[in-house]
Amino acid sequence: MPPPAPGEVPASAAPVLEVSGVSKRFDMTQALKEVSLSLHEGEIHALVGENGAGKSTLIKILTGVEHCDAGEVRVEGRVVHLANAQEAQAHGLAAIYQEPLVFPDLDVAENIFITHRDQAMLVNWPRMYAQAEALLASLGVRLDVRAPARGLTLAAQQAVEIAKAISLEVKVLIMDEPTASLSDHEVRQLFRVARQLRDRGVAVLFITHRLEEVFEIADRITVLRDGQHISTRPAAEVTRDLLIRDMVGREVDQFYGNRGAGSTRTIGQRVCRVRGLAREGVFSGMDFDLHEGEVLGFAGLVGSRRTDVALALFGIQPADRGRIEIGGREVRITSPRAAQQLGVAYMTEDRRKLGLAMPLSIAANVTLPVLRRYLTRLGLIHRPREEAAAEGFRQRLDIKAPSAMHLVEKLSGGNQQKVMFGKWLNTRPRIFLLDEPTRGIDVGAKAEVHAMVRELAEEGMAILCISSDLPEVLAMSDRILVMREGRQMGILGRDEATQEAVMSLATGEGGATAEAGAAEGKTP
Amino acid sequence: MRLRAETRREGVLLLLIVLVLFGFSLVIENYLTARLFNRVSASVAILAILAIGQTLVVLTRNIDLSVGSIVGFTAYFVGQQLSLDNHIHPLVAVSMAVGLGAVLGACNGVLVAYCRVPAIIVTLGTLALFRTILVEYSDAQTILTVNLPQWLIDLPRLNVVSYERLHLRAVVAVMLAVAVLFQLLLRYSSFGRRLYAIGSSPEAARNAGFPTQRLVFIAFVLCGALAGLTGFLFLARFGNITVVAGIGQELKSVAAVVVGGINIFGGSGSVLGAVLGASLIDLLENSLIRSLQISEFLRDALLGMLILAAVAVDSVLMRRRRDR
Repeated sequence: MPPPAPGEVPASAAPVLEVSGVSKRFDMTQALKEVSLSLHEGEIHALVGENGAGKSTLIKILTGVEHCDAGEVRVEGRVVHLANAQEAQAHGLAAIYQEPLVFPDLDVAENIFITHRDQAMLVNWPRMYAQAEALLASLGVRLDVRAPARGLTLAAQQAVEIAKAISLEVKVLIMDEPTASLSDHEVRQLFRVARQLRDRGVAVLFITHRLEEVFEIADRITVLRDGQHISTRPAAEVTRDLLIRDMVGREVDQFYGNRGAGSTRTIGQRVCRVRGLAREGVFSGMDFDLHEGEVLGFAGLVGSRRTDVALALFGIQPADRGRIEIGGREVRITSPRAAQQLGVAYMTEDRRKLGLAMPLSIAANVTLPVLRRYLTRLGLIHRPREEAAAEGFRQRLDIKAPSAMHLVEKLSGGNQQKVMFGKWLNTRPRIFLLDEPTRGIDVGAKAEVHAMVRELAEEGMAILCISSDLPEVLAMSDRILVMREGRQMGILGRDEATQEAVMSLATGEGGATAEAGAAEGKTP
Repeated sequence: MRLRAETRREGVLLLLIVLVLFGFSLVIENYLTARLFNRVSASVAILAILAIGQTLVVLTRNIDLSVGSIVGFTAYFVGQQLSLDNHIHPLVAVSMAVGLGAVLGACNGVLVAYCRVPAIIVTLGTLALFRTILVEYSDAQTILTVNLPQWLIDLPRLNVVSYERLHLRAVVAVMLAVAVLFQLLLRYSSFGRRLYAIGSSPEAARNAGFPTQRLVFIAFVLCGALAGLTGFLFLARFGNITVVAGIGQELKSVAAVVVGGINIFGGSGSVLGAVLGASLIDLLENSLIRSLQISEFLRDALLGMLILAAVAVDSVLMRRRRDR
């Protein structure tokens, strides 16, 4: 019997991997809800979904990093318990990542064979090098197997990981956004390898944000949304618009319902003008203006380099090309200190690591960037003045804590977020860069943050708001700038911005036609 | 042909040793003699064994600062047993030293690997703790050479091979055997490669499903065992053992490892490097203090400078390699 053509899965074939009814909950969020999925031998199966759809959680469960709360995973029909990475490997499940996890000090061959358990006690170096060379050659990759992994490009590191997976005789290879950081040429090469694996009978689960890649490589496509399985279809039966609709399909939350309503603010004069801003190898060609009283949303997928633009405006990783004008004057922002003096504030997305000093009080955090204001003539901190200022913010931002001296680590996520707002508002910014201002906080706190942003804009502040929560960006922003892989894909006005339009730009679909709004059944 | 970074490092060390020998021979009369080799090689042997143990731990991105106390503890304990009973078999005495060292190393290992206390804190604590226990245990008595069995007193002068007036001491032969054994272990066993892997990227090691805790524990046990062996050789060499025996050995062993090119952040380095590092340090020390009569207090300053220089050179080279 001839092997089935790629993409045609014989009905009789038992799936090599079967996920059924898998659920997983992290504290407040249901990351996966009864997700089922099956992979067959010799297919490339694309898994797509928005940020937070549950793809990463599913991968973590399949690689033994996380354990599911309910449901089961079968490999070749038998239920398996994936307690840790080792067991997942033993069952023939392996994964490669956007940022491969190699051992930088070990050489290429050692990296490939590091997890081998079937080897003898002693390493036969010549044989190992020969096998590593043969493996890489079979993938059509040329690498010095004796070179340390440290100096390799991401693509080469992925090749090493793939070679490792092959040498372990994987049945299922999960590729988690492997193309996100690769050049076009490297993507071609990776696809060739993926097809080769498929032809060898490996089931490849391919996760990507780039829809064009999905259509190019996948035999079947599964969409996840909000932790639930939405659809699984043969690639041939799927159109781009169908896919995008599956991905974003949720009803716009009631919560964001009165979008724009009650907004009495008027957009004032331009405060900041950015032209051709770029940072080598990170982002380029950023052109946008910020106005008083305006919220400019920054939309895009994870890895689209939105944060890097904010970091450049705040001087943490200064841009190396382009022009920034603030208040009509060209400025050079080379340090956060310079940025603050120009009236720019940046609120980080990672409040635990970068945003707040968790073991300190609310007051100490709120006064930190402008501590000089609270010094006595002797250079000591004037505690009453510091406390009074923090108390002001506590009341104004409605931070739920007994006093301004309360420790930040004891607060809920939402209240911590408010402390961070207070900290930066205390610098009295004219331009406020918000990076994922509602990440990891509950719905009630989200609403408060939204109200706060609206209020600040009404007071005349210029706000740039990065958010991966699409409905949120749509609801909060006056205009939306969409980024993709370090490039500005377009700026959508309030009337043209729909979920579909934003997603089209963010995934590189539709291009210039995106402004036309909702998907109108365009064929590829 | 491109050499491994380690090979290059070892070549540089060898060159440095030759340069040091040449330099001193210009300053000191009758420097390059068989006596110098005999004396320095025996002294290097003791430090080298300690440095090999330290290497195992440092490779896993940890450090063992308690080795000096382990050396003192085992030297004293075994010396005491041998003083009490001169008829203990030499092999039993050695096993006692190695076993005691391993037990002390296991204390470190449990705390670091399973209780997840940073190694620098654990071993700083046990550095003081082991020493204090020794002081209490010894009741401030001294082990005296006269009470030790004759075979032990003769051991440092025991030769395996001699060529004219050049002697290969038994101590040196033991060190070479240990070095070969561990070089093979690190290079050719999967255990050895996993030690490198853990130090190179702990996250990737966990992801690969290695039993990282157990491997780190074993590294500490082996380091303790080798420190115990060092303690035994220490006893044989000096005979008179007081409660301060071995103080400062932790600094010397870390210096030997770092100068020998073992990355203090784990993941790279070799046993040969550690042995060469130990040789360079001991040679400098011997020549400066004994031949040039330089104050002992300068010795620590010299060690300190060597450590700082080696690490600084390493990080500069490292950064250049990353930037490229």
